[in-house]
Amino acid sequence: MSSHSTTVSSKEAWGGGQSPFGVSYGKLFMWFFLISDALTFAGLLCAYGFMRHKYPEVWPIPGEVFTHFPFVDQHIPLAYVGLMTFILIMSSVTMVLAVEAGQRKDKKGVTIWLFLTIIGGLMFVGSQAWEWYHFIVGTEHGAIRNQLINGVWQDAPFHGANLKYNEYGLPVFGNFFFFITGFHGFHVFSGVVINVVIFINVLMGTYERRGHYEMIEKTGLYWHFVDLVWVFVFTFFYLL
Amino acid sequence: MEFNDDYPQYEILAQHSEEEGKVKRKKLWRVFWIMLGITILELIIGFQAESMGLLDSLKFSTITLKIIFVGLTIVKAAYIVMEFMHLGHERKALKYTIIAPYVLFVSYLIWIIIVEGTYAGTPERKPAMSKLIIEQQSKIRTGDSHHEEGTEHSTAPVENAGEEKHEEKSKAHH
Repeated sequence: MSSHSTTVSSKEAWGGGQSPFGVSYGKLFMWFFLISDALTFAGLLCAYGFMRHKYPEVWPIPGEVFTHFPFVDQHIPLAYVGLMTFILIMSSVTMVLAVEAGQRKDKKGVTIWLFLTIIGGLMFVGSQAWEWYHFIVGTEHGAIRNQLINGVWQDAPFHGANLKYNEYGLPVFGNFFFFITGFHGFHVFSGVVINVVIFINVLMGTYERRGHYEMIEKTGLYWHFVDLVWVFVFTFFYLL
Repeated sequence: MEFNDDYPQYEILAQHSEEEGKVKRKKLWRVFWIMLGITILELIIGFQAESMGLLDSLKFSTITLKIIFVGLTIVKAAYIVMEFMHLGHERKALKYTIIAPYVLFVSYLIWIIIVEGTYAGTPERKPAMSKLIIEQQSKIRTGDSHHEEGTEHSTAPVENAGEEKHEEKSKAHH
């Protein structure tokens, strides 16, 4: 147990024969991968911040863009993303409970919590698809844009947002929205796929035979990272 | 696969007993309630921002609101990294190897982005193209272009430079 404790003399730690970080190489390199991935997201969100500061006059107000909620006719700003955030935090908790169960070699616990994590991840990806759908379709009244209809230039309404036009404001907002939430959504999707692979391995008893459930910890790190990124996306896209 | 008998097996060392697990789970659920509380607080502030006078004339968040939201987000992020990702309980060497370079680079990036973005956004620095985009977009946002029937040509969107040429071509055809 001593070599895993948080306090170890530097002479002993860096003297060879053991990892100075006190973790296995797999976990260490998962951390290194996450740093590089986090830098990518930081770059994307900072680019968003740059345009946001450059065009404050015409930037869409998020509270007026994302107002839909399933089965409710009224427009409620923020409620749906609040729910999505809750789903992702919840799935992060189930993941950490799966990790904890793995450290006790409790196969049944790992199975249950990992299954719930996968369900949470799928719910989140579905919610994001729903959110995209409403952003693309747009509002009923839309906005007016000069466009070419039947060979004549005229002011006509258009609805929703795509990579070229955006009824809510500057088109680059749409570009950032699609790219950043899309990139994050793809991370969630890959996370779900990885979790499913690990889940099958748990069911087949691979880690039981190996003697430890460290693989759950490593995928858990990735899953928490996805949650971490969403916390920032939530703040910068929906709150500020 | 054993390739070094002396090397400590960190995978095994990370394991713990049933009693330790109970304590850990209690801690984790506490973190969950804290994070849920912060998210709800953020949403309440988001809903009430206007009545609390935390929005500026363009209906954007003021600097106070920005600091509140970013601060709460960093608290949440710290809980995720330190408790869920277990980094707070790892060795100091690992903790600072992960956090220090990241915080250093990203705080520099944020600083330079805000400075440069605000500078690029000052009216006299915006090139003519930007001014046209803003003019066009503010019309879209307020729906003012209703009243400009007949002046179709003058309000042709800037980003449609290609289509504009197309229109001239069709005119020549006539």
